[in-house]
Amino acid sequence: MDFQAIHDRLRAVAAPGLVSADLPRKPDPKVKKDKGRAGDPFVLVEAQRLVEFLEVCRDDDRLKFEQLIDLSATDPAKDDAQLWINVQLLSLKFRHRLAIKCLLPKAAPSMPSTVPVYRASQWHERECAEMFGITFVGHPDPRNILLPDDWVGSPMRKDYEFPKEYHGISCE
Amino acid sequence: MLSLENQFEENVLTTKVDWLINWARLSSIWPMTFGLACCAIEMMAVGAAHHDLDRFGAGAFRASPRQADLMIVAGTVNFKMAERVKRLYDQMPSPKYVIAMGACATGGGPYYKYGYTVVKGVDRVVPVDVYIAGCPPRPEALLEGLMKLQEKIRNSSVIRKPARTA
Repeated sequence: MDFQAIHDRLRAVAAPGLVSADLPRKPDPKVKKDKGRAGDPFVLVEAQRLVEFLEVCRDDDRLKFEQLIDLSATDPAKDDAQLWINVQLLSLKFRHRLAIKCLLPKAAPSMPSTVPVYRASQWHERECAEMFGITFVGHPDPRNILLPDDWVGSPMRKDYEFPKEYHGISCE
Repeated sequence: MLSLENQFEENVLTTKVDWLINWARLSSIWPMTFGLACCAIEMMAVGAAHHDLDRFGAGAFRASPRQADLMIVAGTVNFKMAERVKRLYDQMPSPKYVIAMGACATGGGPYYKYGYTVVKGVDRVVPVDVYIAGCPPRPEALLEGLMKLQEKIRNSSVIRKPARTA
């Protein structure tokens, strides 16, 4: 199925948390400074209901997204109040893909863990947690995956400040 | 007075203690099997047949720091690894030597400004004898570095403290 068909199917089964579809478009030459939008079409989903949404994607007979390819986060800009959660799904049976985006408030980024639906997201969520300071509620193993256990701060956030020293090693 | 000449046939030779010890040390610098990033690939190439580190007596890569004389820091050192590097260095028996291979180990390299977890030079963790430039250095550069280290050992003395302090 192409993106439109997947989106229609998600609407037909009333997938929980589905907000809207976002399609790439060319820049409008009449509008000054309009850059258009590049990239894949994606569906916007409520972060707090992402787990239920993914469950539908995985189990629906016409969608059958067996694999979670990626779960990552983005800090779009310093003055932006929200983080993005980006999820990529793949169906081997139907050979189609779906990109999902969720918005999380930067002030208190917290959402339910998607591990009960896709166990593949364990490490991805651990990375997002340490790099962006996101709390995945119900994650079975919420340790740091890349950074040292006692690391302070979330390095991938735009407002991150570099450490001055770490365990006596100067960072200047 | 009794002359020593021709008394011992070929069973005795005379030398200086410094020369003998330095010769022994520089002729068998056993490096540690220890690579951190892409520089380690070049280090492996140096150890292999084409460049042949064994020509310098430094081809016996030891899998334990307790058997090694030389630590070639080949690659990016991050803070998580820095403590392990320090521990490995502490486990090596004296006399021990460190080569900082490549831009990352020398001064943080391309991660100097935005690498939040990269140590800006392994000399902030362990004392370094020889720095090798390059990203990564050519195998010939590592051989040059090794020869520089041999030169350094050749000029050391058992009764004179080396210029740098560990």
